[in-house]
Amino acid sequence: MNRDLVFGCASLALAVGYFLLAAQIPESQLADTVGPQGLPRIYAYVLGGLSLVLVAQSLRASRPEPSAERPRPSAENPEPGVESPTLSARSQALRAFGVVVIGAAYIAVVPWLGYIVSLTALIAATTYYQGGGANRRVAVVSVTGALLFWLLFVAILGIQHPAGFWPDLF
Amino acid sequence: MLETLYSTWIVPAAFAGVAWGILGGALPGISPSITMALLLPLTYGMDPTVAIVMLASTYVGAEYGGSIPAILIRTPGTNAAAATVVDGYAMKQQGRAGEALGISLYSGFVGGLFGLIVLVTLAEPLSNVALAFTPQAYFALGVLGLSVIASLSRESLVKGLMAGVLGLMISTIGTDPVTGLNRFTFDSPELLSGIPPILVMVGLFAIGEMLAQTGEPGLQAVPERPRIRFPGPAMWRRIALPQAIGSVVGTMEGVMPGGGGAVSSFLAYNEARRWSRRKDEFGKGSPEGIAAPEAANNTVACTALVPMLSLGIPSSNSAAVLLGGFLLHGLLPGPMLFVQNPEVVDGLFLGLLVANIAMVIVGYLIMGPCIWLVSRPKPYLMAFIYALVVSGVFAIETSVFHVGVALGFGVLGYIMRYVGVPLLPMVLGVVLGFMVESNYRRALVLSDGDYMIFMQDRLSAALLALALIFVVGSLFHHVRDARRPVPKA
Repeated sequence: MNRDLVFGCASLALAVGYFLLAAQIPESQLADTVGPQGLPRIYAYVLGGLSLVLVAQSLRASRPEPSAERPRPSAENPEPGVESPTLSARSQALRAFGVVVIGAAYIAVVPWLGYIVSLTALIAATTYYQGGGANRRVAVVSVTGALLFWLLFVAILGIQHPAGFWPDLF
Repeated sequence: MLETLYSTWIVPAAFAGVAWGILGGALPGISPSITMALLLPLTYGMDPTVAIVMLASTYVGAEYGGSIPAILIRTPGTNAAAATVVDGYAMKQQGRAGEALGISLYSGFVGGLFGLIVLVTLAEPLSNVALAFTPQAYFALGVLGLSVIASLSRESLVKGLMAGVLGLMISTIGTDPVTGLNRFTFDSPELLSGIPPILVMVGLFAIGEMLAQTGEPGLQAVPERPRIRFPGPAMWRRIALPQAIGSVVGTMEGVMPGGGGAVSSFLAYNEARRWSRRKDEFGKGSPEGIAAPEAANNTVACTALVPMLSLGIPSSNSAAVLLGGFLLHGLLPGPMLFVQNPEVVDGLFLGLLVANIAMVIVGYLIMGPCIWLVSRPKPYLMAFIYALVVSGVFAIETSVFHVGVALGFGVLGYIMRYVGVPLLPMVLGVVLGFMVESNYRRALVLSDGDYMIFMQDRLSAALLALALIFVVGSLFHHVRDARRPVPKA
């Protein structure tokens, strides 16, 4: 399916949802002539309008020209205007999703496992996932890297990252 | 001013920023804005002036750093260094890599100093209208900033405008600036103060780019470690004209929205070839072909700060990240910055001077570590960048929630790249949204709802007219480009 069409439809849905949320903002006695809902509503209208324009543009671009002779659509010669993602693009998106999952897992475990352990896991998992393999070198680099980051952020800059359950054990 | 230099950490900050910038710029795929975005959270606990100097110095260093892999492995470290590849790599093949790197460094220094003079000369006079700024003028200034979106959206005006509106929507999250009511917070205490622009920038630029690079092949190792050779007097004379061309082109492109280092580099290369007596050498290892683009992109590193400092309008991704640095430290770039925080402005000017000198010293010394870094396996590089991002974002508000928000914006940035939606309009919307809304409503409170207040105030009317001219001009270009017949293959 056309990327612009999908993006346009998603933006249209977002504009509608945002408008409904804006409409729920309560009135205030301190409110000015515009009010707290005023500009959000305008933004929703504008985004909705632009989304419709994008949808219309993408539909028009995907419409075949009747007079022109065109080859039969195939894998090598896809339908004009329809930028069906190639396998590599799709697998690239899936790989990127994997990186997001690693980040999400870090966010989930860091309050319990603490900064150093979680960061070691994040570095090791990302290295492995990006094709660095699973070996002793990756383990050493991950632990060293996490300790260096701890040194920089916690020991030098004084930023208290989550300690996890470790302090309770000792 | 000199007291500022002695009494603060400006000099070490400039050196550190330049070193960080050169290393980041040398890594293909890591643009100056991403290098700055990665550093941004680390500056959180610093003195504001020192932090701003470090970020600006990173920009200066990154513009030079991009030329190192461009010359050595035919892969530009930054977009702006793409023009340097042509003659830089040709010189390397002739065994003149050290000379090419020296010309690049020296030309960057010359361009940077020229850009700094332009910045100091133009920024303060532009901001002298500060005291005349009323809420309606601030609103108009915000609109002028948003009108830049039209020229930033070269590929698709509709998508650029959509990104801008999405940014404005994000800026409405949090407490309403006039009534104090909560908007779009979903009862989350973390959202009460809104989404910090820095999270949007780190997410869109750094995490989004990292996701986009996942699965891409790694870089080739650098086979040799050349010593930098600075040009002698004869070469100075030869490259003086292309450096001057690069500096002028860089000045014009830097102050224009959307110009940026890449456009200026190619324009400068083209003009240098046009004016050269040795046109036939271009493309075959001409020193002039390195001098012009390198002078241009380092000029831009300073002149891009003119609209950002004086009007609060970022004209490029890097300027937007620097703007994020100002906001992070409670500073608001724009007309009042010169009145309320003159020490920051003076410190920045001095810091940029030190940064340009530091670029020559650090650039000479850092060649070995740079080559080592560029030759690292990509999986390790990606893992360490990811670790830096999650650690740095946490440091801003010491909140895991904000790491999640940045990750979310990273996904959005990836999708936007995939669909071809420009990122900078969204950043502009996020940064300028609060200014636009709060001043728009304050002005209407002052006028009892009379919209003519925006026309009665001369400054406001002039800024709105300027914004209109900008938008109409950009629309004209879009329509003209759309009607231009596509050449047959």
